[in-house]
This record gives sequence, C-alpha cells and structure tokens, in this order.
Amino acid sequence: MKVMEAVRRANRPGPPEDSVRLRVLIVGAATVGLLACRAEGEVSWWLTIAAIGLLATGMAFSHATRARPVAAVKPALAFMAIVAFVWFFTELRAHPFTDIGGVEGLLAALFAWIQVTHAFDVPARRDLSFSLAGSAGLIAVAGAQAIDLGFGLYVVVWGALSLGALFAMWGSAGGGAPTGRGAPTVVVTVVMVGLVALLALPAPQVAGNISFPSDLGSAVAVVNPAGLAGDGGRPSEPSRPGTSIGRTRVGGYLGFATHLDTALRGSLGDQLVMRVRAQRPSYWVGETFDTWTGQSWLTTRRVPQAVATGSPFTLPLPDGAAIGGTDDLQTFYVVAPNPNLVFHADSAHVVWFPADTLFVQPDGAILSPVALGPGTVYTVESIVSSPTPEELRATSSIDGGLSGAQQRQALQLPHPYPHVQALAEAITARAPTTYDKVQALIAWMGSHTRYSTDIPPLPSGADAVDQFLFSTRVGFCEQISTSLAVMLRSIGIPAREAAGYVPGPYDPITDLYEVQAKDAHAWVQVWFPTYGWQSFDPTANVPLANPSPGATLVGDATHALGRVGLVPIGLMVAAAAAIGLAGRAWRRRPRSWAEKVTRRIERAGRRAGRERRPSETLREYAAVLDARRAGAPDEHRAGAPDEHRADGADRRRAATSASWSSLAWALEQDAYSATPIGPEARRHILRLSAQWRVPRRLHRPAPYRAVVDDGRPERVGAP
Amino acid sequence: MHPVRSVTPFAVTVAVLVGWGIVAHDSGSGWVQVLGEAVGAAVVVGLFGPAVALARAGVECRANPSDDTAGSPVGLTVTASQRVRVQGTDPPGPVGFVGPGRDPDSPCTVVIVPSRHGVVDSVTVDVASAAPFGLLWWSRRVVLALPTPLHVAPRLGRSHPTRPLIDDGAGDGARRVAAVIGEARGARPYRPGDSRQWVHWPTTAHTGGLMVREMEGPVRVPATVTVSLPADPDAAESVTEDALATVVALLSKGTPVTLVTTERLGTVSGPVEDRRRAGRRLARAVAPTSAPLDDPGGLSVVFGGSDRRGGRP
Repeated sequence: MKVMEAVRRANRPGPPEDSVRLRVLIVGAATVGLLACRAEGEVSWWLTIAAIGLLATGMAFSHATRARPVAAVKPALAFMAIVAFVWFFTELRAHPFTDIGGVEGLLAALFAWIQVTHAFDVPARRDLSFSLAGSAGLIAVAGAQAIDLGFGLYVVVWGALSLGALFAMWGSAGGGAPTGRGAPTVVVTVVMVGLVALLALPAPQVAGNISFPSDLGSAVAVVNPAGLAGDGGRPSEPSRPGTSIGRTRVGGYLGFATHLDTALRGSLGDQLVMRVRAQRPSYWVGETFDTWTGQSWLTTRRVPQAVATGSPFTLPLPDGAAIGGTDDLQTFYVVAPNPNLVFHADSAHVVWFPADTLFVQPDGAILSPVALGPGTVYTVESIVSSPTPEELRATSSIDGGLSGAQQRQALQLPHPYPHVQALAEAITARAPTTYDKVQALIAWMGSHTRYSTDIPPLPSGADAVDQFLFSTRVGFCEQISTSLAVMLRSIGIPAREAAGYVPGPYDPITDLYEVQAKDAHAWVQVWFPTYGWQSFDPTANVPLANPSPGATLVGDATHALGRVGLVPIGLMVAAAAAIGLAGRAWRRRPRSWAEKVTRRIERAGRRAGRERRPSETLREYAAVLDARRAGAPDEHRAGAPDEHRADGADRRRAATSASWSSLAWALEQDAYSATPIGPEARRHILRLSAQWRVPRRLHRPAPYRAVVDDGRPERVGAP
Repeated sequence: MHPVRSVTPFAVTVAVLVGWGIVAHDSGSGWVQVLGEAVGAAVVVGLFGPAVALARAGVECRANPSDDTAGSPVGLTVTASQRVRVQGTDPPGPVGFVGPGRDPDSPCTVVIVPSRHGVVDSVTVDVASAAPFGLLWWSRRVVLALPTPLHVAPRLGRSHPTRPLIDDGAGDGARRVAAVIGEARGARPYRPGDSRQWVHWPTTAHTGGLMVREMEGPVRVPATVTVSLPADPDAAESVTEDALATVVALLSKGTPVTLVTTERLGTVSGPVEDRRRAGRRLARAVAPTSAPLDDPGGLSVVFGGSDRRGGRP
C-alpha cells in the first residue's frame, strides 16, 4: 500500500504553471533537438516541420487549459503513445538492423512523437520538466550520429535554451524569484563542472558488438573494380600517379596508386580526408609494396580475391599474417574523394561495407568496387597483433610462416647494395636479434638524417637509397622508410613498404581521429615469425597510448605553448607587467599640482627617514622638515611665516622663500583663499619642491630637558 | 540544512547519469558523452546549488506588530539576501516568499498565526531555497528574533459577572443590587444641556419646575479582576480568554478595572484602560509558582486557582 500511495502521490497533479516564458523556452529546446535530428538525417523534413508545429500547438493548448485540464485528453494521448510504440516495434521487425546505428532513426522519430503527444498535457511545472528532459533525449539521439564539431552549434543553442528554461523554473517555483540575478555565475559553474567531467571521464570506446555503420555516400563506380583506381576524372582524387615534371598538386597522396615513386610528392595540406573512430590509434594501411626498383616501389601483380558475400565481409587472412591478436573495431567516415582503397588497421578480418563485393589482395589490401566519395562510411574489424619488444626479440630466426617465394619477394632488391649492406652491418653489428637490428637502424637514421619535404630532385638514373644515405641524408617519409627497408633487406631481414595514413589528431569531443591529407605516410613493415608483419616508423612520431580527452587537450595546449618559445612568452609577460604597472601608476597619478607638491614633500621626508604621521597636517610636517634642514630637533619647530595676509604679493613672496613650511602654507592658501596662486608661482613651487632635499638625521637627539614651573628642580634625562 | 526529499532525486539522478554514461561510452559517440556531461553538470548544480544559496541567505526580521490576538494571523516584515521560501513553524504559518524578487514592490511579509496567548520574542521558521534551477528544495530551521516583543492576547471567551457589592452601611441593611447603567433612578432639576427627551413631565407638574430623569451612571467603584493561571496550558488559555472577556465587558460599562496577574517578575496589579492593555497584561501572565492569588474582595472577579473560577456566588 505504501507503494500505491507513493505512486498516487507521484501522479498527483501539481499546481498549474502560469509562466509563458518557461513554455516558450522548452518549446525552443525541443525544436532545436528536432532540427538536430533532421541535420543528422535521422528524421525527414516533413516530420520535423509537423512535429515543431504540433509541439507549439500542444504547449499553447496545455497553457490554455492548465487550470481545467480536459478530461478526454489523457486517454487520447495514451492511445497515441501506444500507437507510437507499436509502430516502432513493427518497423524494427520489418527492417532488421545489424547495429544500433540503424535503430537511431526510428528512435528519433519515436522520441519526436512522444514529445509531441506529451506537449498536449503539460499543465504543471513538473510536466514541463519532463518535456525538457525529452528534448535532451532528442538531441542525444542526434548526437549519436554526429561526427564533426559543427554539431556543437546545436549543443550550444540547446544548452542556452535549456538553462534559460531551468532558470525560468526557479523563477516560477520561487514565487517570482529574479532569474537574471547570479545567472552568469551559475552558467560559469555549470560550464566548469562540465569541463571537469569532460577532462576526467575516459573517452568513449566503441563497443565491439553494437555499432557497425556503413553507408555508400557519394561513391563513384570504378571501371575496373578489382584494380586500384578511383579516377572519376576529378583532379582532387589522389589515386592517379604523378608526373615527373615539377611538383604535381593533386591535393592528395600520390602513393595511393599501383606504384610509389619516391621522387614525387604531392602538395599535402590540411584538407580533411576522413574521420576515424577506433578503439586504439593505428596506422590506417591502404596498400603495401614489395618490389623496389631503385626509384619506385611496385606491388607484385597478383589477382585479387573477390569476396562476394555482401556486408559484412569476412576476409581471408593476408599472407604472413600474425597468429592471434586482439580485435580492433574502426569506423571510417570519408570526407574527401578517395580511391577505392579500403583503409584499415593491420589484418582486416571483417568489413561492413555497403557493396556486394570486395576484392582482397594477398598482401591484405582491400579494394572496393566504388571509389569512396564524401559521406561514405564503412567499418572494419581488424586483428591487431601488438607484441612486446621482448616477444619480438624471442623470435630469433626467419623461418616458418612465409613461403619461399614470399620470402624471396620480401628480400628483393633490384641490384646489390654493397655500401648499403656494409653500412647496415656496421650499424647492427652489436644487435643480437632482428628486433634489435631494426631498432639500431631506426636510431641511426634518427641521428644521422634529417626530415624535410624540400629536397632536390633525384638525378636521372640515380638510386634513391644511395642518394639519401650517402649524399643528401635529407628526405621525407618515403626516402627514410625506403632506405630502412633496403638496409633491412640487404642484411636478410624481410621488409616491405606500406602506405596509408597515420591516425591524425584526436578530437576528444567527437571521439574521432581527424585524418588530413598531410597525414599520408609511408613506413616499413618487418616480418616476424608468429607475429607477422609489424610496422616500424622511422619518421613519424605517433603516440601509442589511447589518449584520454584531458591528456589530449593538455598535451595540445602544452605543445602549442611549446612552439611559441620562451622569448616571446617572456616578452609578453614583461609587456603585461609593464602595462599593469603603468595602469597602476596612472590611476595613482596626482590629480592636481598641489597634490604633486604634497607628494614631493612627503617623499623628501621619507628619504630623510621621517614619515608623515597620520595626525600631522602638511604644515606641521613641513615645519619638522625645516627643522631638520636647520639641524634642530624635530620637536623644535620653525615658526611659520605670517599666514594671515591674503594679498597675492605676500603669497608669492611666501612661495619663493626657501622653506618647506612656505610651500605648505602656499598650498593651503591656494586651496582655501578666494584668489588662487597664478601659474608662474605654481611652476616655481613645483621646481623648488623637486630640488630640495632634507638631510637625514646624523646626530642623536639632544637630551630631553624639561622645565617644570612648580618650584622643583629641573629634571634632565633621556626621553 | 537538508534537502526536502533526500533519497529519490539523488537516486534518480545517479541512475540516469550512470545509464547515460554507459550508453555513451559504449556507443563510442563523443557528442552523447559531452551532452551527458553537460546535463550532469546542470543537474549537479541544480541539486547542490540550493544548499549554497541557502547557506548564503541571511534572513532577518525587520519589523513586527506589537499586539495580536491568538488565532489571528500577524505579518512580520522579513528580509533576506536571497529569494527564499519561509514558513513559520513555531508559531505556525502559511508559506511565503521573501528576498529580492522580479517585482520590486512585492511584499516581504511572513505570516504567523499564534495559537496561544503569550509574549513572542522570536519565531522559528523553515527557510527553503531551490535556486538556481528549482530542481530540489533544501531547507533549514532558523530562529528569527523579533525586533519588538509580540504580545499575543487571548481570544474573547465567556464573560463572568462581578461579585455584587454588600454595603452594610446603607441603613436598612438591605443588599444593594447592582444597577444597570442607563436605567432611570430618579428625577432632578433641569440643567442647561440636558436633553428635552429626559424631561419627566409628571414630576415637573408635581414640583412646578422642569425636572428631568436622572440615569444610572456607571459604577464608579473599580472592579478587580484577579487571574491565577493554572499550570495546564489549555486550561490557562481558557481562563485568560474568560478573563479578557470579563474585563472587556466591564470596560464597556465604564467600570474601572484593576487587573491582578502574575508575571515572571511577580504579582502585578494595575488598572487597564482598554482591551489592548488588558490583552497585553494577560499575554504576559504566567501561572503563579506559589499559591493562587487571593481574592481582593470588593467588586471583583477571580479567575483561576484550585476551586475558584469566575465570580463568587
């Protein structure tokens, strides 16, 4: 019975809410939620417009009937809510979805429907608070699909409207409480608490079993689906091979082609290529190259295997893949036109791709039948092998896992490299294991080469590795990684060149890696028994730990600050301090010539070791200073000039006499007499006050000598 | 200081935020997590902000009436540095809001309804706030000192008649009956200023001079009302109500009344000229610590004591 009583008490209608502002703000917040859902493509335009209109109508109806709710409304609304749920589950059964992403559209429509029906029966403040909570649900459903920072505009507007509604709720509950009072402090507090939560909580992690989005976007059909192409005729696609004449500007990475010419490099800028949501940062591999010509890398021509099972595609393991590993789920949101390469972390195992067929090469490269245009979304589950250095060191010999042909291909060189081999052997003389040899070579390259994209062109007929290692020692990732691969091959370690993207900067709000064109990269893969092809990057500096939002933001801020340099920071701090001091001095400046003279008198006295006492007038203080100048004790004060004369001549005379008392007297007369001192006299006084000094006391004061007129003898003693 | 409802709001908040966090974290959507953090921040501020506002709210009674009657509402002028809800608990009263409001002319009055007579120096009120979002009310009990003591007079009870005077020096020894004020008791010669309606024609014809009726005037003999409150509060309340009613009735007849009560500092005996003063005297009355007050004799009414209540038969 207590439960029933509690339920009855919870459902007891509250007093009618009269605040129109509160209702308007809640309608606004819900409208923003609906528009956000529309912006993410979860609901249609007609549903959005109809929902907004009905929402406003329902709120107006509720306000009009708040004191006398219509009895028939509740049953009707309950019936409509039931209809909404029936529709939702019917749609769910009719269109089975493989992941939660497909359900979000239905959820958004359901939330909108419930929000609209609820709006017709919100007479009390408590009911309105439920509507406000419903708007939070709407924008959260929209946020689940958002992948860029532009969604933040909806969040900011919705947040402002919701906060306004909350303030209005207090204004109503508080019997007319003022809502503007203290609002900025409250808003700042909410923002600070939210920021603390953002920095402290761990970043979202994609669960391996609930979200596998895929969408075709604006894909372009490829002429030869089994081949690497993606040239839809648009210069912006990075899949075409470059030319040897000058720099080619294609806006993308030239390496995503059938060969990788180390002599060429495209103009790689900040253009956003794709966004990646992943459980951990990895190299997003596009393709690998195993044949070195001395200038370019090529891929051994092999017929790709077609996997025509439809999405999700379970791919065969590539040659030399690791035995075992951990699952890594990544979702790629393509932003810029891309070739028909399906980028992925190492050893893609399952791919959710919106196509009927995918083509897989033996080295693990995945080709799609369409070039990936903006809006394309696909998900890959990879098996990532992440052995520790000790585990790699334990794999001592190169046996097992690779066939003879594969092994030969992994050691292929176009011609002998005696100098390169000698250099590599010298560097790795003390490295006992393959892993140590690789690390030794990487360390040597880090200390003996420089990274630069501005390098002279490769002379005709020259070998790129010889040019880099023995001539220039300057290059970018292709030269550096190629030299490492050649050195490894020259000492019998299987290696190949890999091309793709580094993870890119991590956005802690969207939980996405923002891969830009300049993140295109080439690195080396070395084969280890059991663990397969392991990536080594002698050039890029990629963090391996999964960053938390707080660490990322702090790191970015520190990094940005570090680039500024100490000298500019010091100059800025000094400039700020100088401005502050100047402002302080300006505020404390004397407002009149009299105040200036007064301060000079006091300053002169301070320098002489005699502060002005709070009970002293300026004339008394000046008399003390005059006494010091005369060498008399402070208590023996010089008489003040005749101060009763009011004519200007006497004042001028007094002003020019050489005593502090005269100055003080002149200031008093100027302040209180009917005819102030003229400008010439003022200048004179100012000059005198700046020039005079008061000597410091150099002798002990004379013993106190008091004469008591009571017939008793004099008493002499120290004070 | 404590929240009005302590378990449900926090439990619901924690459950919602934890659920939201789990969904956001496992869905991998950063925006959902950001929204959850924003909502959580607002809810946390809304749940704990009232405690801060309440702690900073200084409530003070600035003015109050000096007199009131038990059972009648009385308004206290209360100021607060923040907008708060105030409700009297001792004495009880309805809910009111004080503090800065949207309407600058809104009254800042807290109404209390004393249920018994007495002198109220302070009132206990429940001060509550739900700022800044109105999500959860926090309240604390505050004792407000009144700038001036509030004398709560008893209600008007049942009036008791005075004991009739026994005047043995009247000659015939007959007991003098208390006259009703305004009743004609004789005739006298007309004096300028008398009303023409008072002329008594039979006596005028009999005497040959204009004679007017002479009315019974108020008894000039002061009445003494002695009040000894019993220890039981309810009985004391009843006694004071009857005493006040009696005093008011005597005063309305023009009888000077001397009220004898026991106050904290001792027995107080003095005239009361009007109801307000009588109410104040009775408000200050307390039960005597020793024997009930003695019957002063004469025209008097005695209230209270072990076997005395009202006038003597």
